[in-house]
Amino acid sequence: MSMFWIHFKKEMLEAARSYKWIWVPAVFLLLGVMQPVMMYYLPDILMMSGDIPPEAAALITVPPPEEILASTLSQFSTIGLLVLVLSAMNTVAGERSNGTAELVLPRISSVLPMMIAKWAAMMSLLILSFVLGYAGSAYYTSQLIGTLEWGPMLGAGAFYIAWLAWIVTLVLPLGAVLRGPAAAFIALGSAAALTMLASLLPSHLQWSPGRLSAIATECLTGGDPSAWAPAVSAVCFMALSTIAATLLLKRRPLLPQA
Amino acid sequence: MMEPVLRIHNLTKHMGSLTPVKGISFNLERGSCTALLGPNGAGKTTTLRMLAGLLSPSQGEIRYGNSGETGADNQRWQKRIGYLPQYPKFYGWMSGLEYLIFSAKLSGLPGKQAKLRSLEVLEMVGLQEAANRRISGYSGGMKQRLGIAQALVHEPEMILLDEPVSALDPIGRREVMDLLDRLRGEVTILFSTHVLHDAEEVCDRMVLMVDGRIAEQGELSELRAKYRQPLLLLEVEPGEREADWLRSLPERHFIEEAEIRNRAARLVVQDMDEARAALVREMADAGIRFQRIEAGASSLEDMFMKVVGA
Repeated sequence: MSMFWIHFKKEMLEAARSYKWIWVPAVFLLLGVMQPVMMYYLPDILMMSGDIPPEAAALITVPPPEEILASTLSQFSTIGLLVLVLSAMNTVAGERSNGTAELVLPRISSVLPMMIAKWAAMMSLLILSFVLGYAGSAYYTSQLIGTLEWGPMLGAGAFYIAWLAWIVTLVLPLGAVLRGPAAAFIALGSAAALTMLASLLPSHLQWSPGRLSAIATECLTGGDPSAWAPAVSAVCFMALSTIAATLLLKRRPLLPQA
Repeated sequence: MMEPVLRIHNLTKHMGSLTPVKGISFNLERGSCTALLGPNGAGKTTTLRMLAGLLSPSQGEIRYGNSGETGADNQRWQKRIGYLPQYPKFYGWMSGLEYLIFSAKLSGLPGKQAKLRSLEVLEMVGLQEAANRRISGYSGGMKQRLGIAQALVHEPEMILLDEPVSALDPIGRREVMDLLDRLRGEVTILFSTHVLHDAEEVCDRMVLMVDGRIAEQGELSELRAKYRQPLLLLEVEPGEREADWLRSLPERHFIEEAEIRNRAARLVVQDMDEARAALVREMADAGIRFQRIEAGASSLEDMFMKVVGA
């Protein structure tokens, strides 16, 4: 436990000194707040631009609050996820390619506390950023458009965090064998592949953690999806990724020619 | 004093199709200073990485402490080893002091002690004024000294240093050598180098590696005696007669090895007195106009060049 804290404090200090604690939450907050504001003013903006016939303009209305929140989530799935993965890609890969691992690893008898600390630090940043962005979006939505119900909103948030979390965690084992950018690219690619497969073959991939983002949206828009299997498999994915990262890093702690 | 702290038996490492370390065995005694000597690519770094626990050996065994200790004890030993890689890399966003405290805590020192000990080693390597600056602003020499500080911070019983002075300027080199000299006796030192001179300066033992194998090992004084051979150096004036005479030298029975150049010869002889007398007489008889004649002995440097070159 004490080893975990030593590593965790180091990761937190690193994130603070590289300003991750500022720019990642800032991106999420901006994305979250922009969405309801944009949607609210969209009809007015279109009217102002002039060329639209009034019949067409009448079709464009402000969507209900739940849908706005759901569209915020889809914003997070692209730019938000990219920012998270990029900010996390060097947690393991960087230690290997910079060579800092060569000084740290001989000192510790077990790599697992270090890996868990890295994971926990990533999750802290992820949760804070998401909660900030999501709360910002919900606040503006309720101020500008209409009230939201707490239950579905919190449920959707929790599933969405699980979705972000398992993808970001993929960076750990990939970083233990590849360089940072390659790890980030493959993590994003496999997330996209799994999410797409889940929507192409819904009956075969009930358990797939790739479904979690769709489940979160469904939660908001009034469905009551059964989400146990994907949630459990996401947790398993994360545990497996962390353990795999530990074993891989132990096997090949240094890049050749490092 | 003669108690071994590290025993290596038949240590081998395969890496893909390469075998950088091919079955080496040696012991380190408590408090000794041993140089791991060898040309670039001899397997020194790989050996040290295995000893530090970064790589696992493909074959053979490494034993720390007294006999009978294995497995779990090796784990315990890891905390008692200080390791300095050839190119130590630090977290540039940390200050020197923060890095040392972090390292000390990783090796199991409690908080307060970690800080005290970090300040102590910073002073030892002369970095106390840069203690609170970020490492990214350190010069190469300062980083190397920080590397030595981190290898010492947890009061290890044995330190493994990979080319500790190769990257330093002459002043930095001097400082590190003096530091090693002060540490002698307290801790067991194993350091690798490709410069024989460095090894001779502080160490009492050496292990010479060439191409993954041990070519020679032992006490420096013993090795010096073993490879000490009488040697004659001749230099002559330019001239036809002198050149012919030099070329005929290898035929003499008392000369074991001869290296003849245009105007000079380097002769390893069996019996110095006999050779000296014979050659001086010959030169006088033949009227060889010599410039210089010098009697001496071959050094470890010659042995090193011979073994490495072979």
